[in-house]
Amino acid sequence: MRLSSRAMGISPSPTLAVDARAKELASAGERIINFGVGEPDFDTPENIKEAAAQAMSRGMTKYTPVPGILELRKAICEKLFKDNGLEYQPGEIVVSCGAKHSLYNAIQVLVEEGDEVIVPAPYWVTYVEQIKLAGAKPVVIQTRPENGFKILPEDIVQALSPDTRLLILNTPSNPTGSVYTVAEIKALAEVLITAGIWVLSDEIYEKLIYDGARHTSIAAVSPEIKERTIVVNGVSKAYAMTGWRIGYAAAPAGVAKAMTGLQSHCTSNPDSIAQAAALEALRGPQQSLSTMVAAFAERREYILQRLDQVPGIKCGRPGGAFYVFPDVSAYFGRRLNHTTVASGTDLAALLLEEAKVAVVPGAAFGDDRFVRISYATSFENIKEGLNRIATVLCG
Amino acid sequence: MTDIARRVQNLPPYLFARIEQLIEQKKSEGVDVISLGIGDPDEPTPEHICREAARQINVRENHQYPSSAGMLAYRSAVADWYARRFGVWVDPKNEVVSLIGSKEGIAHISWCFVDPGDTVLVPDPGYPVYAGGTILAGGNIHCLPLLPENDYLPRLEDIPSDTARKAKILFLNYPNNPTAAVTREGFFDEVVRFAREYDILVCHDAAYIDVSFEGYRPPSFLEIQGAKEVGIEFGSVSKPYNMTGWRCGWAVGNKHAIEVLGRLKSNIDSGVFQAVQYAAIAGLNGSQQCVSRINGVYRKRRDMALAALGEIGWDITPTKATFYLWLKVPKGFTSESFAEHLIDRAGVVVTPGTGYGNYGAGYFRISLTLSDALLQEALKRLKSTLGRVSF
Ligand SMILES: Cc1ncc(COP(=O)(O)O)c(C=O)c1O
Ligand SMILES: Cc1ncc(COP(=O)(O)O)c(C=O)c1O
Repeated sequence: MRLSSRAMGISPSPTLAVDARAKELASAGERIINFGVGEPDFDTPENIKEAAAQAMSRGMTKYTPVPGILELRKAICEKLFKDNGLEYQPGEIVVSCGAKHSLYNAIQVLVEEGDEVIVPAPYWVTYVEQIKLAGAKPVVIQTRPENGFKILPEDIVQALSPDTRLLILNTPSNPTGSVYTVAEIKALAEVLITAGIWVLSDEIYEKLIYDGARHTSIAAVSPEIKERTIVVNGVSKAYAMTGWRIGYAAAPAGVAKAMTGLQSHCTSNPDSIAQAAALEALRGPQQSLSTMVAAFAERREYILQRLDQVPGIKCGRPGGAFYVFPDVSAYFGRRLNHTTVASGTDLAALLLEEAKVAVVPGAAFGDDRFVRISYATSFENIKEGLNRIATVLCG
Repeated sequence: MTDIARRVQNLPPYLFARIEQLIEQKKSEGVDVISLGIGDPDEPTPEHICREAARQINVRENHQYPSSAGMLAYRSAVADWYARRFGVWVDPKNEVVSLIGSKEGIAHISWCFVDPGDTVLVPDPGYPVYAGGTILAGGNIHCLPLLPENDYLPRLEDIPSDTARKAKILFLNYPNNPTAAVTREGFFDEVVRFAREYDILVCHDAAYIDVSFEGYRPPSFLEIQGAKEVGIEFGSVSKPYNMTGWRCGWAVGNKHAIEVLGRLKSNIDSGVFQAVQYAAIAGLNGSQQCVSRINGVYRKRRDMALAALGEIGWDITPTKATFYLWLKVPKGFTSESFAEHLIDRAGVVVTPGTGYGNYGAGYFRISLTLSDALLQEALKRLKSTLGRVSF
């Protein structure tokens, strides 16, 4: 049984090695502080769980319409209007099994074999794999920490080729936490319109934003760009619902219809009960969200302060998500605990072995001068983890 | 729309999507339409399964990302079910992967083994996703006609050997949608030999393996000696436990194929909500009384339909499995014109056979997934609209 060339092209996840080793150590009885997590450490709010249980007892256990129940799509339209100033009709909304699945559908629908897709690095690695799966070529643009890891209009112009089809934009960003300002987004939109390419706007971290920053959806800056944008969002991060697997896309009707067609062939509707839960998340009280964001803000403040005290670690001030992304290259070439550190990967391995702290090497996001530290873990863990890191690195 | 990638443009409109549109249209005209079109169990998910889901919804770990391959507890439940149900031993760690309904695996397996230009052997008539997945991966479809004279089993010996050599995947589905046919003794052995000879992955879709009547127990493909070397089997909790909306299924069998499918799909989704996996476990591990009960319901409806259709002029051998009936279109109609005629004159929806492939021409499918009362009413309407049919 020979594999398809696509299947052979799938890279093993670069975070897997760290993950596996962390689990190994944990099961050997070590207390690992896990800064690797990509999901809130909060429970799904009560009202949402309750809505799911009720849906079940109402018998909402059968196939629903492929793009999701109408009421949920209406609630998504209301949300997009209220939060993002975007006007969509329910026919332009497709609900899928998580934002990851929405991104897959969007890329499958928009991208042909041989097309090029611009991906600003550092990036969420799934983009690259999904682009390759569609037979297209990821064109990776390195952003610079001096610009807050944000892609500039001229970067796009430089990367353009006749085959360029799509730009992936992720704000707030995983892994850097960067948040684009309205002005920055407007400038990007202009070059995208001139170039006639599409943008896939991943806004999954929209609600996790600090220091009074505001999230801007690129689709909102002009009608012209809205026509070439697929907005992807979901309930995973904002409502501590990563396990429930509900995400959505908003797109021009033709694209939404094609995504629905694709989804009807590949998965049918997303889980009916989780749809009811997502509906409650969007329409119900938003108190638990503010509580969670306040907690993240406090942890972020603390973690930045602490990292600032570790010599050689350079860390910007990310405006969103629940990650910090420090530059650790000052350690390259140094010998720490009998190993010479040459990359973020080496440093991550060292921290895991010596400090029993798991961080994700920047290699997983396309830039190994960095490591990603998630603060989606308790304050006590953060404190303990940073103590341990400081001991190993300053030691 | 020119902006849409060719692979998606090439997908035929999903059959049931078109039927849904037609239903909506009639409904908006005020007709109380009865659908015999869609195979979605009408009965609720059994109590004990919902109770387990309700409990698991409150468990904190379940709010977090599942693993895309599925919890080991889930994969073990599937493996144990295979052992109990078929006497088939599979390794839950390496030979089982969770799916968002069996559809997901059927649609994505072609990504794993099919390059543009490769051939996939697709039964016709057949569940549309075999062709859909092939088209997405850029593969070529070679149709295997399922004909009444062959009891709706493909004739492997008719596949030209140069085609077989180019083929990467063979899709099979017994008990069969849409024909309700079952396999025969010895057929799966032939399949294993054929797959070995030509190095083809057999993908057996066992979505209806638990929907059967009067003591008939549909076999698993994996019961055959050597099957695990050449094939995998898809299944789900959708049909036996009335759980279509929950989206939870599995692929089981060949280690290599399961590993690749699991790895590939980890780039598409992040697995099944764990509360749903626990609900499925409750279904698989719990009493199977609910399955016998629901099969009793389908059998009764089957008999009701056979009797009424017999009076109108159809001569049908009683089916052994699935909740479908596959019927010839009366003289003077095509599949489509007959389906349209019934919606128009009787307000009854049936699925035209051509929705399942060219060899479905001249047939239509009805599904028994509606209440006895509605089924009676639909049959009454058919009778008054059609009177007596001839062929
Ligand atoms: C940037 C980004 N987009 C999308 C997702 C996927 O979210 P979901 O849980 O809705 O699939 C993640 C999850 O880690 C992410 O980091
Ligand atoms: C033959 C066949 N296979 C697979 C499926 C998919 O079912 P699910 O994805 O709900 O498991 C169906 C559903 O109608 C079917 O008829």
